[in-house]
Amino acid sequence: MTKAMLIDTTRCIGCRGCQAACKQWHDLPGETTHNTGSYQNPPWISGKTRTVVTFNELEQEGALTWTFAKRQCMHCEHPGCASACTVGALRKTSDGPVVYDAAKCIGCRYCQYACPFDIPAYEWDEVLGLIGKCDFCVDRQGEGMEPACVKACPTEAITYGERDQLLAEAHRRIVADPTGYVDHVYGEHEVGGTSMLYLAGVPFASLGFPVLRNEPVSAYTEAVMRQTPTIALTVAAGASALYWIIKRRQMNMVLAEPVAAAPSIDQAAEKPEEVES
Amino acid sequence: MTTATTVQKRPAVARLSGTNIILGVLGLLTVIGGAAAIYRLVTGLGASTSLTDGYPWGIWIGFDFALIAFSGAAFTMAATVYILQRESYRPAMRPAILFGLLGYVAVLVLLVLDLGRWDRFWSFFVNWNVHSPLFEISWCIVLYSTVLVVEASPQLFERLGKERPVRWVYRIVIGLVIAAVTLSSLHQSTLGTLYLNMPYRLHPLWYSPILSLLFFVSSVMAGLAVTLLIYPIAARIVGKEVDNGINSGLARAIGWVALVYTALKLGDIAVAGELPLLFAFDRYSLLMWLELGVGCILPMIILLAPKLRAQRRWQVIGALLILFGVLMNRFNATLFAQFAREGASYTPNLVEWLSTMGVLSAAALAWYFGIRFLSIFDSDAHAKFHH
Repeated sequence: MTKAMLIDTTRCIGCRGCQAACKQWHDLPGETTHNTGSYQNPPWISGKTRTVVTFNELEQEGALTWTFAKRQCMHCEHPGCASACTVGALRKTSDGPVVYDAAKCIGCRYCQYACPFDIPAYEWDEVLGLIGKCDFCVDRQGEGMEPACVKACPTEAITYGERDQLLAEAHRRIVADPTGYVDHVYGEHEVGGTSMLYLAGVPFASLGFPVLRNEPVSAYTEAVMRQTPTIALTVAAGASALYWIIKRRQMNMVLAEPVAAAPSIDQAAEKPEEVES
Repeated sequence: MTTATTVQKRPAVARLSGTNIILGVLGLLTVIGGAAAIYRLVTGLGASTSLTDGYPWGIWIGFDFALIAFSGAAFTMAATVYILQRESYRPAMRPAILFGLLGYVAVLVLLVLDLGRWDRFWSFFVNWNVHSPLFEISWCIVLYSTVLVVEASPQLFERLGKERPVRWVYRIVIGLVIAAVTLSSLHQSTLGTLYLNMPYRLHPLWYSPILSLLFFVSSVMAGLAVTLLIYPIAARIVGKEVDNGINSGLARAIGWVALVYTALKLGDIAVAGELPLLFAFDRYSLLMWLELGVGCILPMIILLAPKLRAQRRWQVIGALLILFGVLMNRFNATLFAQFAREGASYTPNLVEWLSTMGVLSAAALAWYFGIRFLSIFDSDAHAKFHH
């Protein structure tokens, strides 16, 4: 029973109402940007902007068409950021949102590397900066309200609800219109599944979505990290055993053969001490 | 009369000696770097560095990770002398332990500079995430630095003539060294584990399931190479004779560890079916050849050849190449072999360079004066308490 959003890019008209609603609800400042040759603005998510509508002009059946895709934190089922966070400031809640506890954060920015979607952003303009990312309006959800972006969307491109129900709805739409949609619900399986689900009429890679395997990015890391106590005990026990074996062998050598025939550098240096004891 | 004038002139000549010029430059860099560091702390990361969301980590992290590997000198030499009980290497151990201690202190300072919320650097003491490589690394670095302080403390106590604390340390020295080896094995390897959650960010020539092992082995290699370089310098500073047996022994050990590293690395690339990437001769393949070919295989050949290894010149070249290779490896993994977002670029700015150089210079100065004024080669004192 986790909450999710279904974002149908075929319904999106690129009005950016969600972008504005997100800024309003989270009290985020505006951003000074410059012309990058695209209508997409700001160019990507930042410490001040938690959701961005991407503008993708693609050739379809000989004509140029626009596809708009609202991007934000994917709220992974197995979030790389939460697994990586040094101080456990990022956490996946049982309801779906991946939440951030700013009071714990040390600003190490490892989460930025651990995210396969390039989402967590740092507040570079602050003297003591923190991480910013979409929180799935966890505060609104707690009050029984839908996220601000869903509320603002005029074309019902964003649907909010239970993940399993939205998945069923997504597949229903694909079946109902197999030519209008590619047969792929992005987020159903990517990196172990995400709470944000997408539908599109064109392959997701052409919209700038990363091509990802089904394995969570944290899988290898956590498998190795789980071995930490084993590695520590093995190394400590191994080093102790090695010390004891070598010590005993050296004592036996001293007893059996007080004067070595051809002393190596090591043995030569040890001799004064051996004589002493 | 003439002799008197010469005697009087001597200090003036000494003041302009090569050593003093180096010390002066290091002192100047420390002061300028300190100012740059303070500027960074009061203005914030965006205002004072070239870091962006495309490149959240820069040269601070590159130097941190390289310096942690270099500081492997301390645990490698402590293990050689106390676990493997190769007593003949004892003269090289204290310079290495002092280097390790100061290396970790420098790393801690640079890490604090790198933290967005440096005012809360202590957060990981109370907020735990056992899945996080950086959480483990943070704890290990703090615990190991403490162990290093205790391991190095006889260097000070002996100089001060305080026998009792020295005796206490030597009573637990085996325990300390086992703790040092354990903590080092953990965080040196975890620095490799750190990249395992970046399968889509790190170039496949670097990304590997055995990254943890590779990072650990290269820290041993770097630690031995640092020792081979600094032990004779330390001996020269205090006017002690250099034991060439130690030098050639270290050189040979580095050669063998480099062979192990090369075998692991090439084997891993081959098993992953990435040999074509190695011979693609694109930017990444060239970076890998610089790191592995110039920085590991070449010094391995030099240091495994008995005739070359016997010469100090080739020992120095071999050790420097190894350190270049490990430095490149940490920078490649952190910066050059990372796929940043489209359009992102990173050129470290003056504040980043000056603060890094300042911290490294301060550590180098502290090491020099430590070698001069601490008890580094008084093994008599050690023998007295150890038995």
